Amino acid sequence: MTDTTLEPDASPEDNDDALAGEYVLGVLDMADRSAVEARMKADTVFAARVAAWEQRLSPLDDETPEVAAPDVLAKIEARLFPVAEKPQRSLFGWLSGMAFAVAVAVAAVVVLAPPTPEVVAVLATKDAGLSYQLTHVGDRLTATRVAGQPAPAGQVHQLWIIAPGQSPVSLGLLEDEALVIDYPVPPAGWLFAVSVEPAGGSPSGLPTGPVILTAPVTSDT
Amino acid sequence: MTDDPIANHIANCAAGDRAAFRALYRDSSAKLMGVLLRILGERSEAEDALQEVYTRVWTRAGRFDATKGRGMTWLIAIARNLAIDRLRSRPAAASDDGLDMVQDSTPRAEARLIAQGEARRVTDCFATLEPDRAAAVKGAYLDGLSYDDLAARHGVPLNTMRTWLRRSLLKLKECLE
Repeated sequence: MTDTTLEPDASPEDNDDALAGEYVLGVLDMADRSAVEARMKADTVFAARVAAWEQRLSPLDDETPEVAAPDVLAKIEARLFPVAEKPQRSLFGWLSGMAFAVAVAVAAVVVLAPPTPEVVAVLATKDAGLSYQLTHVGDRLTATRVAGQPAPAGQVHQLWIIAPGQSPVSLGLLEDEALVIDYPVPPAGWLFAVSVEPAGGSPSGLPTGPVILTAPVTSDT
Repeated sequence: MTDDPIANHIANCAAGDRAAFRALYRDSSAKLMGVLLRILGERSEAEDALQEVYTRVWTRAGRFDATKGRGMTWLIAIARNLAIDRLRSRPAAASDDGLDMVQDSTPRAEARLIAQGEARRVTDCFATLEPDRAAAVKGAYLDGLSYDDLAARHGVPLNTMRTWLRRSLLKLKECLE
């Protein structure tokens, strides 16, 4: 940690502005960056100072030339919107005529019935002192803290999903409010996990802190 | 919702519009790739970071407020924060690349700035700083240089660099107000 009040003559406002500017420039070390991010969450006046620096310095962005981006859109979409495997239907081909009639009847019921959130996993400590419930409705996955506290200042709980044999993929940060993301129902056998990360989330895109909760997907529709 | 198509795409992403997400990638990925590559210095790492940036953009789109700034500024802040977090998390030995980029990029970049009114104000204000201090501020913003990098490059103790930079920031702020 470095001293953030180097100039005792300066007003507290100036010291805050200088710190916010240092954060936006990016010169602070990781510990100071995390401390600033924690303060931004707690102190809206300070957060506004950071936002003002982002605006002030943004004309410098013109100095960075564009570089043709690789076509990784498909990979990003696969991360954000994984498609659940379709159930095998060929065994039932001989029933297709009847199945169609049944499907129409079922579809009518599905359309008329309001969507009900379905619990897909509960991530909890053994004593249930900390617990997140994951529900799914429509195309939305919602993670709600139902017991315990969010991570302490400067840290954050990060939610991951892990397909069998694959690297964890971040679903987002678990903060004060429920996390709601556009996401299909993950297949049974996939794993949810929560790790403790520096404020702002894992800098590497993979869990870097301790994994404190895990739970498998419990239902598959 | 107006003359800022990027802002419109972000607002539509917040509403769950995946077509808007594709349009956003089409219209902004080259700029963000430029930002990430400049700070991270390695193409493979920049490509990996680009995926993470757009993942964050989709999940955070609801927090974007078009009344507070342009869409591209918001996107670049996400990209810069991610890239700088990655740099600062690297082992210390790897932190001195990018130093040589400052020298050739600064003068060329100066000319491009003149195009826009807002940019000209910033250029004018940078001109009120001593040249090496202006270069230090820009080197930090554009190339992701840390205090250690800047102190080494300018041959001054770290605390001196920090005092320079903080005073320069306050002077810039005053000039831009």
